[in-house]
Amino acid sequence: MSTNRDDFGIAIRSALLQKGARQKFSLFFLICISIGIFFLDNYSSKFMDRTRSILNDGIYRISTLATSPVNFISYLNSSFKKHIFTLSENKVLREKLAELQNKKFKNEFLITENKNLKEILKSESAENYSTIIAKIILDKDSPYLKSLIINKGTRSNIMKGMPVVERGHLVGRIVEVNYLSARILLLNDLNSRIPVIVQPSGTQAILIGQGTSKPKLMYLPELYKIEKDSTVYTSGKDGILSSGIPVGSINKNEELIEVKLFSDPNQLSFVNIILNLIKKKKEL
Amino acid sequence: MGSVINKNFKEKIFSLGPVLLLYFLSITETDTKFSNHFEILSFELQFIVIYFWKLKNPSILGNGHIFFAGIINDIIIGMPMGISSIIYLIVSLVASYVRNITVNTSLFSDWFTFLIAIFFSQIAYLSLILNFSKITFSYTDLFYSAFFTFLFYPLFWFLFSAFKSQILGVRDE
Repeated sequence: MSTNRDDFGIAIRSALLQKGARQKFSLFFLICISIGIFFLDNYSSKFMDRTRSILNDGIYRISTLATSPVNFISYLNSSFKKHIFTLSENKVLREKLAELQNKKFKNEFLITENKNLKEILKSESAENYSTIIAKIILDKDSPYLKSLIINKGTRSNIMKGMPVVERGHLVGRIVEVNYLSARILLLNDLNSRIPVIVQPSGTQAILIGQGTSKPKLMYLPELYKIEKDSTVYTSGKDGILSSGIPVGSINKNEELIEVKLFSDPNQLSFVNIILNLIKKKKEL
Repeated sequence: MGSVINKNFKEKIFSLGPVLLLYFLSITETDTKFSNHFEILSFELQFIVIYFWKLKNPSILGNGHIFFAGIINDIIIGMPMGISSIIYLIVSLVASYVRNITVNTSLFSDWFTFLIAIFFSQIAYLSLILNFSKITFSYTDLFYSAFFTFLFYPLFWFLFSAFKSQILGVRDE
């Protein structure tokens, strides 16, 4: 029994401390260094924030360069596929065009009606905010976090918490800012919590990411009944996100009330960051 | 003489394969998550690379490279810095331990001991995230990732073994 324990001790000590022929560092030394870095990074300090920011910018740039051949190959592949399916796509598009032309007249009427109503309400419109366009430079899927890296940072006046939209639809918010880059936490991430309003009923709720493509609605009133064609907008109750940004439409899945996002998080290339709201708060 | 130098040069280049693969997986957008095709399918190829090469030919994959690949991976995916290094080094530690206590290994012994490596790395990951970080994660996703990593090990074992014997022309150290 004691021999077995001795054998275990010797083997584990050897595995931890032995450097081997071409190894410069022992495992024990590197595990200690890693633990040290982990704790330093967890306890926020000015020095660590700055170091991390510089490291992030550098690594993101290298990563963008390293990924470019892979992206180029997938671009060639998708271009080839597009070319092959052009004819069938053209037929579908013609049908859609006819359908859209019919809808156009209806939309013109709704736009005029909406404009008149806004003037009456004198409400803030999300379209009035100034935005900055940014390119997605990294989109690495991870089992733990759903986030994207963009090519704009503090140099472009981006700050933590700013809402990110794509074609006017909410995509997520900024959670990490470096000098030349920033990280967007997507709405479907498990850590994402957004106060929303369901229209036309005007019900308040919290949109919570589930790690899947559809986030869920929580904290709805008891016995809440879903109305057909309900749309989810940001409510602006947190004071960080502006109100009235369209998020998605409601989908009922068994017991859960899920939201089908208007903007597919897997198909993003460029996004807009809404700058004004936080700036206004600072001025106040 | 020239062909010998050429052969040595080729061997040196190919022996960088596992290190380059590890860095490539960490630094590029390429990932082993296939949720678009099958929602629960994701696995950690880095674990397989580290475990296989540390077990078979440890001189090919240095501990320093494993450490740096982990740091880069954390920065890219937005995890607290150092956590991937810790879990990769734990996988490496289990591989080194298994290497010290065994003489002849087979696919099945490697596969079984890989389960121990996954177990300890996930325990370390969970204890660090739950106690020292505010990140929320799904236990189910973590379980599926660990399960598929374990499940795919034999496939990569054959691929890496073929690479080792056919291209590198080396035997187990």
